[in-house]
Amino acid sequence: MSVTQLVAGANCPVPSEKLQVEVTLSPAQISGAEVDISAFALTGSGKVRGDDDMVFYGQPRPGNGSVAFLANSAGRAEFSVDIPKLLASTEKIAFTATIHENRKTFGAFTSLQVTVKNAAGQAVLVATLPATGMVESALILGELYLRQGQWKFRAVGQGFAGGLKPLAEHFGVDISDAPAPAAAPPPPAPSPAKKPISLSKVTLDKGKPRVSLEKKSEGFGEIRINLNWNRETAPAAKSGGLLGGLFGGGNKGMDLDVGCLYEQRDGTISAIQALGNRFGSFRSDPFIELKGDDRTGAISEGEWLHINGQQWQTFKRVLVYAFIYEGAPNWAKTDGVVTIYVPNEPPLEIRMTEGGNSLGMCAVVLLENINGTLQVNREVRYFKGHQEMDQAYRWGLNWRAGSK
Amino acid sequence: MAVSLQKGGNVSLSKEAPGLAAITVGLGWDTRATDGTDFDLDASVFMLGEDGKVLSDDSFIFYNNKKSSCGNVEHLGDNKTGAGDGDDEQVSVNLAGLAETAKKLVFSVTIHDAEARKQNFGQVSNAYIRLVNSADGKEIARYDLSEDASVETAMLFGEIYRHNAEWKFKAVGQGFAGGLGPMAASMGVNLG
Repeated sequence: MSVTQLVAGANCPVPSEKLQVEVTLSPAQISGAEVDISAFALTGSGKVRGDDDMVFYGQPRPGNGSVAFLANSAGRAEFSVDIPKLLASTEKIAFTATIHENRKTFGAFTSLQVTVKNAAGQAVLVATLPATGMVESALILGELYLRQGQWKFRAVGQGFAGGLKPLAEHFGVDISDAPAPAAAPPPPAPSPAKKPISLSKVTLDKGKPRVSLEKKSEGFGEIRINLNWNRETAPAAKSGGLLGGLFGGGNKGMDLDVGCLYEQRDGTISAIQALGNRFGSFRSDPFIELKGDDRTGAISEGEWLHINGQQWQTFKRVLVYAFIYEGAPNWAKTDGVVTIYVPNEPPLEIRMTEGGNSLGMCAVVLLENINGTLQVNREVRYFKGHQEMDQAYRWGLNWRAGSK
Repeated sequence: MAVSLQKGGNVSLSKEAPGLAAITVGLGWDTRATDGTDFDLDASVFMLGEDGKVLSDDSFIFYNNKKSSCGNVEHLGDNKTGAGDGDDEQVSVNLAGLAETAKKLVFSVTIHDAEARKQNFGQVSNAYIRLVNSADGKEIARYDLSEDASVETAMLFGEIYRHNAEWKFKAVGQGFAGGLGPMAASMGVNLG
């Protein structure tokens, strides 16, 4: 019998019998990322009814055993799902993977795979989810679901950057109220200083231009800053006029670069950017590194600047900017967005929306060390070039033209 | 009435919905519950002449051109996230008022920026497109995009065409590669 290959979003029917669902990670193990595979039995509303609907390492065979672990080892888990034995109100079973304590994202893996086998042990379908570039630390890999009397499987591959907590809440599980340790999926390890994991992405805009992240004794970890934009795909933007807005070829081939100016406590000032080959270093001074272009996945596309948050005390301020290396400035059609990922914080998003259409440089966000806190200020101020921006922020560098 | 259509199936609107004068194309989907870029689905209508091409560029009714110059086809607003209950986007068509030169209306649904966002209909929850009799709100045809067009990013849903003195509806349900731009080009729209 042929095996159906599914990409994210795709679905196919499965037989209504005792199935085996196998989840595998590639590579099987990543140092520092402990992955828990779980299953949630859900009603038509997509929620669990109670503790017996959660199958995880601490509870491998809950309830009547219709959904249970057959095997569970690093990088591989296998469930049995006895469809005829499911509770009548079960309409969906979601299979998930979470990285313990959000220590890494699934981007550290190459791919995740779900194989569904029939009662005879033959593979019915294989869903392959490329993981490179994923920013999520909790994923819904796929789901068995009932539709018009037929059980089907859908490859999902979507999840949450905030880890287990938002994932569990998505299924109606309230982790904080879980009475006993065994009654809920593995909760994020309690650490006294840790704030509750935030549930959503934060957008800094005109109404809310600033956010301040509390000082942490261990620093802020790896602060990852992503610049992403709409390249040449049509439709590009919706703000333009008839057709012109839809097929805005204006940003075709436009190359946007990310960079930053930094000022250290000791008064050192400099810049990190590809232009002039100033890539910096994450592990050693200046503790800021410009990563090469990463265009492997939808989320990771764009350019990355990493700041070593453990060294945050050495910084006074960092101004992150985007500039148009090639192509005519047209910010409105560029849909440029800078997203800042600080471990254990919701991603901060700053959009380069309005204005500046004749100017090639945009100061996007200013990170300031205010008594050890990390204050993130939305700027979105446009300038003709480096020199003008430098002057406006009184940085004090000397600028001259260069090329990559 | 609830007509169930197979792909390629035809239905005579004059018979199934006598006196049908106006229709509404409804597009609905759920907002994204997971992290990541919003799903932005777009409903569009192409008003075609005898030659199968748009009568003019403004016979392509979509989010940037919400009303045909004749005023009979109107897009009621672009929804970029799927927020809200029921239909999230609607295009209303006053069939009775259409010029004789308008021989066919093609209804499409596309995911905005699908390629860059690496999205398909199957990743969107509860996405559908339907055709409704505006007079009584009854559904003439419906297509479940999440389920039955899961790996597509753009689809020609169906078409209404003149046959003798009546309007007929054909369920097309066919995926289209490339998105709204190439689709519009294939219908003869001059792209700026």
